[in-house]
Amino acid sequence: MLAVVFGGCKPGKPSAGREEMVLNQRLEANIQTLDPADVGDTSSDGVCREFCESLYAYDYLKRPHQVVPELAAAMPDISEDGRIYRIGVKQGVYFHDDPCFAGGKGRQLTAHDFVYAFKRLANVRVQSKNWYIFDGRVVGLDDFRNYTKTCEKDKVDYSRPVEGLYAEDDFTLVIKLHRPWPQLIFWLAFLPTAPMAREAVDYYGPDIILHPVGTGPFVLKQWHRGVYLEAVRNPAYREVYYPSEGAPGDAEAGLLRDAGRRLPFIDRVFWRVVVEDQPRWLLLMRGDIDINSIPKDNFGQAVSVVNDLTDEMKRRGMKMQLFDEPSTFWLGMNMSDPVLGSNKPLRYAINYAIDRQRFIEIIQSGKGRLAYGFVPPAMTSYDEGLKDWSPSRFDLQKARAYLKEAEKIHGGPIPKLRLAIGRTGTAQKQTLQFLSRCLTEIGLQIETELYDWPAFLEKLRTSDNQLYFSGWMADYPDAESFLGTFYGPNAPWPNSSNFHNSEFDAVYEQVSVMPDSPRRTELYRKAERIVIEEMPCAFVYHRVGYIIYHDWLDNLKADPYKAEAIGYGQLRYYKVNTQKRTNYRNNVEMKN
Amino acid sequence: MTDRTPTTENSNEPVKGRSLWADGIRRLRKRKLAMVCFAVVMMYFMLAGLIYLNEVLDWKITLFDWRQAVGPSYQKPWVGYEWTPEGQTAPQRDWVFFGTDFLGQSTWRKMIYASKTSITVALFASIISILIGVPMGAVAGYFRGWVDDTIVWLYTTVGTIPGIVLIMAFAVVLRAQTFFGAELKGITAVYVAMGLTSWVGICRLIRGEIIKRKESEYVLAARALGCSNRRIIFKHLLPNVFHVIIIDFSLRFVHFIHAEVILSFLGLGEADKPSWGAMIDAARTELARNVWWEMAAATVAIFVVSLALNIFGDALRDCLDPKLRTD
Repeated sequence: MLAVVFGGCKPGKPSAGREEMVLNQRLEANIQTLDPADVGDTSSDGVCREFCESLYAYDYLKRPHQVVPELAAAMPDISEDGRIYRIGVKQGVYFHDDPCFAGGKGRQLTAHDFVYAFKRLANVRVQSKNWYIFDGRVVGLDDFRNYTKTCEKDKVDYSRPVEGLYAEDDFTLVIKLHRPWPQLIFWLAFLPTAPMAREAVDYYGPDIILHPVGTGPFVLKQWHRGVYLEAVRNPAYREVYYPSEGAPGDAEAGLLRDAGRRLPFIDRVFWRVVVEDQPRWLLLMRGDIDINSIPKDNFGQAVSVVNDLTDEMKRRGMKMQLFDEPSTFWLGMNMSDPVLGSNKPLRYAINYAIDRQRFIEIIQSGKGRLAYGFVPPAMTSYDEGLKDWSPSRFDLQKARAYLKEAEKIHGGPIPKLRLAIGRTGTAQKQTLQFLSRCLTEIGLQIETELYDWPAFLEKLRTSDNQLYFSGWMADYPDAESFLGTFYGPNAPWPNSSNFHNSEFDAVYEQVSVMPDSPRRTELYRKAERIVIEEMPCAFVYHRVGYIIYHDWLDNLKADPYKAEAIGYGQLRYYKVNTQKRTNYRNNVEMKN
Repeated sequence: MTDRTPTTENSNEPVKGRSLWADGIRRLRKRKLAMVCFAVVMMYFMLAGLIYLNEVLDWKITLFDWRQAVGPSYQKPWVGYEWTPEGQTAPQRDWVFFGTDFLGQSTWRKMIYASKTSITVALFASIISILIGVPMGAVAGYFRGWVDDTIVWLYTTVGTIPGIVLIMAFAVVLRAQTFFGAELKGITAVYVAMGLTSWVGICRLIRGEIIKRKESEYVLAARALGCSNRRIIFKHLLPNVFHVIIIDFSLRFVHFIHAEVILSFLGLGEADKPSWGAMIDAARTELARNVWWEMAAATVAIFVVSLALNIFGDALRDCLDPKLRTD
C-alpha cells in the first residue's frame, strides 16, 4: 500500500500548470499532536510548524540568526523599562479554509486570536506542556490560570480580562511583563505561541490535535498515525517571497537564485514515519525520501575522513551540509553529594581523565567539537579565549595528581562512584563504557547505571545521583538558555548539578533582564568562567550536525536550531527538480 | 535370620539393588552425546566459577580481563595489525582471535566473561523459582481443598501473562528498589525478576506428582506411624520427586539464559559488564558497518550452551523418568 501511496505518486496539475512538485520527507518518531499548545516533541513541532505560524520567525538565510516578523507587522514596540510589548499584527492574513468557519472559508487573523491562544496555554484544563513559557512572566496571566483551576472543563470564560494580555484593537496585541524579559521575542517565534482560532477549538473539541487550523503555507490533507502524513499547498496563502539577502557565501551556494519569488514552491509534502535508522537510510538511497540525517552506522559510508562526501555518495549525486549545533554535552557531578560537592580536586581529576578527542572519534563518529565550556561555538557569545584558559581538557598526569590530592581531602581512597545515563540504547551503553574506562584509568572505581529517560529525569530531579552524563541544547540563539542550567534557584532541575555560587547567581540575575549588548556578552563570559572554575561538570563536546540530501532538492540551508530539517516552517523555501528524481529512481531500478 | 538379598538364576552371588539415581546415571553414561554435552555445560560452569574466583582472589588472569584494550577499534578477527597500546610509545604487531569492539576490547574475552553473567542469572533464577514453586506445588498437591484452589488460582493467573512481558515488568519495577538496605540493580534485579515470575511450571509439575504419590503405600505407612504432614512432604514425598526437579532445572536453565539475553538486549540487564545479550545489542547496529564478529561470538556461545543443555536435559529425562526408559 505504501508503495502505491509514495512510489506511485503521479504528478498532479498544480495551479501554475507545471509538473507537481512533491517533497518526500521522513520522520524518526511518531507525531503526537498537531495542536500547537500541546506540542512537546520535535516531530510534532517540525510538522505542525508547516501549518501554523507565530508572530516572529528566524530569517531563513542570515547567520547569526535574526528574528524577523512573520505574523507580526513589525518588530515589537518595547517600553523603555522593557516591560510592555506592543505588537502589530499583519492584516490580510487568513486561517486555512476549514469546516469550523462559516461557509468553510478561513477568516482573517486578529490580535484576539493570540490573546485566546496565550490564555489557552494558561488554562489548566487544556493541560498544555508549554505553560512554562509564560509561568510567572505576564501580569495577571497566573491569576487567570488559578481561575481556570476553579472551572469545569469547557466552562472557562476566555473573555475574562487579564491585565497584562489584551488586544488594544483588532490588530494590536499588548503584553505587560512583571519584569524585563529580553528572551520573550524568541518565545514569540515558538510554535506554542501560534494564534489559535477559537472556532476550531469549539468545533473539533478534543480532536483539535488532529486538525491544525493555522495560517501556514501548507494544509493537512491526511494523517495515518504512525505511517505517514500528507500536506498540500495552502491555496489562500498570503504573499510571501523568497529572501533576497543572505549570509556570506549563500549567493555562491545558489541559495539566492530564487530571490524575490513567491513562496511556497512545493505543492505537496509527504512525511513518512520510519523509526529505525537502517530502513530510513535505504529509502534515501533508493530515492524514496529526499533528505535524511546520517545514522551513526552509515557515517563511514557517507562521509570521508576529510569531512566530505564519499565517492559513492558523490556518484549518487548526494549533497551534504554540516553545522555546529547549539548543544553541549557534559559529565555532570552532583555538588550536593558529600563525596563530590566538597572535593574540588576530585572534580578536577574527573575532568582531566576524560579523553574527549577519542570520545568524539569513537562514540560520535567524529561528529563533535571539543568543549572548553558550556556555551557552544554556534552562539555569538562563544568565548574563543577559553581554548587556552579552560582546564576542560584531557591530561592523565594532572588527573592522577588531583586524585591524590582529592584522597587526602577525603581522608582515604575515594569510594565507588555511581555514573548514570538516561535512555538504554547502544550509544548510551557505549558512552557509559567509555567514560567508566576513562575514570578507572586514573584509579577511580565506577559503577554504571543505565536508566530509561523518565527514571533518569526523576533521579536528577531528586538529586539521587553522583555522576551523570547529560547535556543541553539551546532553544533560542541566546546563551542565557545555558546559564539557567547553573543558576542556584534552578536546582535540582534544570540545574541538575546542584551548583550554587552567589557570584554566578548575581551575574545571572543581572544578565537575564539585559537586552543584547557587548556588556551582556562580557557578563555571559564571566559567568561561564565562574562555572568552569568550580567544575560542577566536565564539559565534553559540542555536537556537529550533518544533513544529507539528494541533488534534486534545492534551496536547503541547514539550521542548527532545526537540525532534522523536517519542516519547522522552512519547507516553503525548498524546491524539487522532479525530473532529476525520476532519472535517479530509474537508474536504481535498472541496477536492481 | 535368612539373607533376603536377591540372587540370579545361575548363581548364588547376591545382586545389588540400584537406586533410581544410580540406575539413571548408569543409563546416562551409556549416552556418549549426552556426556559430551554434560562436559560442555560443566565447562561453562567452570568458566563462570573461575571468573568469580579470579575477581574475588584477584588472580589477574589475562583471559578474563575483558576491559583491557588489545587493539584498535573494530579490528577484524585473525588479521594481524600494528598499534600503540595506551601508555606506550612504540607500536607493536598483534592479532586477536575474535576481533575487537568499539573500545578495542577483545570480543573473545568478552564472550568468555559473559558466560559468568548468563550462568549466574540462570542459576539464581532457577534456584529462586524452585524455592517458590516446589513448596507451593507440594503443599497444594498434598492438602488439596482451599489451599490447592488458592495456589491453582494464583499460578493460573500468573501463567496467563506472557512470560517475557512479566519478567520485563518485574525487572523494570525491581530496578533501583531497595530491599533490607540493599539496592537491586544490574543482574540481581534480572534474576530476582525471573525467579519471581517463572515458578508456575515447576509448581504445576510438583503438584501433579504429589497428588499422584500422596496415596502411595510408603506415604500411608508414614502417616500410620504418626509422621507429621511436614515430615511426609519434605522427608518422604519431595525426595521421591526430586528427579523431576532436576530435569526441570536443566531444561529451565536454557530458558533463563535466553531470557537474560533478551533482557540485556532490551537494556534491562548488566550495564557495565559484558553479557551475550548486550553484545548482540551492540552488534545489531555495528552490522551495518560490517562488524559481524561480536554478533557471531555471542551467538556461537549461546548456541553451544543451549544445544548442550537441551540434549543433556532430554537425556536426563529419558534416563530418570521410568516411563520414558527405552533400554
